[in-house]
Amino acid sequence: MNFVIRRIAFYLVAFLVAATVNFALPRLMPGNPIDVMFAQQNSTLTPEARDALIATFGFASGPLHLQFLDYMKSVFTGDLGYSIRFYPQKVNQVLAYALPWTLLLAGTATLLAFCVGSIIGTFAAWRRGGMFDAVVTPVSLALQATPAVVIALTALFIFGVALKWLPTGYAFAPALDPAWSWEFFGSVALHGLMPICSLMVVFVGGYLVTMRNNMIGQLGEDHVTMGLAKGLSDRRVQLNYAARNALLPSVTSLGLTLGAILGGSLVTEVVFNYPGLGQTLYIGIVTRDYPLIQGQLLIMTFATLLANLAVDLLYVFLDPRLRKA
Amino acid sequence: MFETLKVFLRNKKALIGLIIVLLYVAVAIFGPLLLNLDPMQRVGRPHQPPNPEELLGTTRMGRDVFAQLIYGTRTSLAVGFFAGIIIVLIGTVLGIAAGYFGGWIDEIVTFFTNVVLVIPQLPLLLVIAAFMGQTNPAVIAIIIGMTSWAWGARVTRSQTLTLRNREYILASELIGERPTRMIFVELLPNLLSIIGFNFIGSVTYTIITQATLEFLGLGNPMSVSWGTMLYHAQNASAISVGAWWEVLVPAVAVAGIGVGLSLLNFGVDEISNPRLRTLGTVAAAIKAQKKIDQQRLAEVKP
Repeated sequence: MNFVIRRIAFYLVAFLVAATVNFALPRLMPGNPIDVMFAQQNSTLTPEARDALIATFGFASGPLHLQFLDYMKSVFTGDLGYSIRFYPQKVNQVLAYALPWTLLLAGTATLLAFCVGSIIGTFAAWRRGGMFDAVVTPVSLALQATPAVVIALTALFIFGVALKWLPTGYAFAPALDPAWSWEFFGSVALHGLMPICSLMVVFVGGYLVTMRNNMIGQLGEDHVTMGLAKGLSDRRVQLNYAARNALLPSVTSLGLTLGAILGGSLVTEVVFNYPGLGQTLYIGIVTRDYPLIQGQLLIMTFATLLANLAVDLLYVFLDPRLRKA
Repeated sequence: MFETLKVFLRNKKALIGLIIVLLYVAVAIFGPLLLNLDPMQRVGRPHQPPNPEELLGTTRMGRDVFAQLIYGTRTSLAVGFFAGIIIVLIGTVLGIAAGYFGGWIDEIVTFFTNVVLVIPQLPLLLVIAAFMGQTNPAVIAIIIGMTSWAWGARVTRSQTLTLRNREYILASELIGERPTRMIFVELLPNLLSIIGFNFIGSVTYTIITQATLEFLGLGNPMSVSWGTMLYHAQNASAISVGAWWEVLVPAVAVAGIGVGLSLLNFGVDEISNPRLRTLGTVAAAIKAQKKIDQQRLAEVKP
């Protein structure tokens, strides 16, 4: 229990650091981001109109420490200000619409990549040096080193444009209205298939190689030799003796790769025109919508920390030693 | 030194990786000198498919994709290596300081390392780059370098900690060696494999990240790199109009260097951790022995 409380305290501080960075960045940059931003919108604003707009969007003036307190208050009450591109919507509303799509995309892809990678990694390690290992390991190394952009663009070209098997954009057919109907879910699944699969392909290699290498380490341990000497079946030694222990470092790496997965999901969404956080962030970047961009960083940090906490809890479940401490 | 190189070259993965990386480095250094063609120059009609004149076709702006690829290789590799050096410098200094001196230095460094590790990298980079405006490759290298050192610092620290408890370190401490000599003569040589591992991994990460940032439109569109090539291709809707060469060429280039570097890294890992070796040579030796045995049996029988 102590362990969990310590972790929560750590994540809270980490979130504070991220929020502080977010606060400091626009103030450290050369030039005035507000000018850049409004220059993009239109250049014919009168100074009075500009001041009024600045006030509306919540760019506070005044002493720095008071600004900081105001900012922290608004962050912890979940008020991220107004979006400029989607005015008069607030940043929260824009993000709240996009978040579920990203969770669907990144969550499904992570789960698939972790399970498939760990299972294949276990078998590759069991027969290391064999045909299966000789093919699977280099291929997953290659996949691991290929950027999400490349895989997404290639998939889009092959399955979307050349073969025309799958839709090339959006989360569901534009003619449909979101509803609890089979037709709608079918459309969501069809549109999600290619982004999810290409995101999964990006990350499956990493989990596979991690699991394989941990597993090889475990197979040299005494308890595995003892299991074999007792005459237990291969399957039992492989799964209950070696794989269970080898899974622990994999779970840690699952927590640490979550940030990378969100990043990969950003890019994949842009390529497939998928209406998640990544697509929204892209629009924010193109139109220099700073409140939106900053809100993204906060919400993504929050999501990553939450997921890391979930991984910690999973760790307590997997590793009995932590339960006693 | 020669022996290490021999062990290294005997590892098939490391050898293939090394060949790929050297090929890229050669293109980056000598390619632009041999080519003698400005990559931003209009050479033909827009979106020409690959032909004898334009080996890899032209972009929508009528620029030569092959020339862009060669110059882009130079930019992308330079950014990768530059950021790799920054990452390794920061990570190694912090890691050794935390692991060797311990105490409050360790507490602070470890805390910040852990914080940086859990904040999602790409969104953070995007925010920084967005506030910088359209950033040059050198600036991209610096911001990637400044935000990506945490993993290296963590690994270096834990390795320094294990070294610190070895007897030879204790012995040199009892002789009364100064901390600078301890670090540079006793510790650093034993950390070289970790530092090399960190460097190769960081270069891979930087090249991928730079391509991603530029693809999202945060780079300087007037610079030539694999990322800006992808950005222009995406803006020209190259995929939907069927100009696959404009997208595929930079994509394959990024994937290729990634594969080369990670094979190299995996090979280094196998060499420093013998357990991971697949024992291909042993299997081959056993096979050869069996063949000889069978031949002898065949000779004896009749």
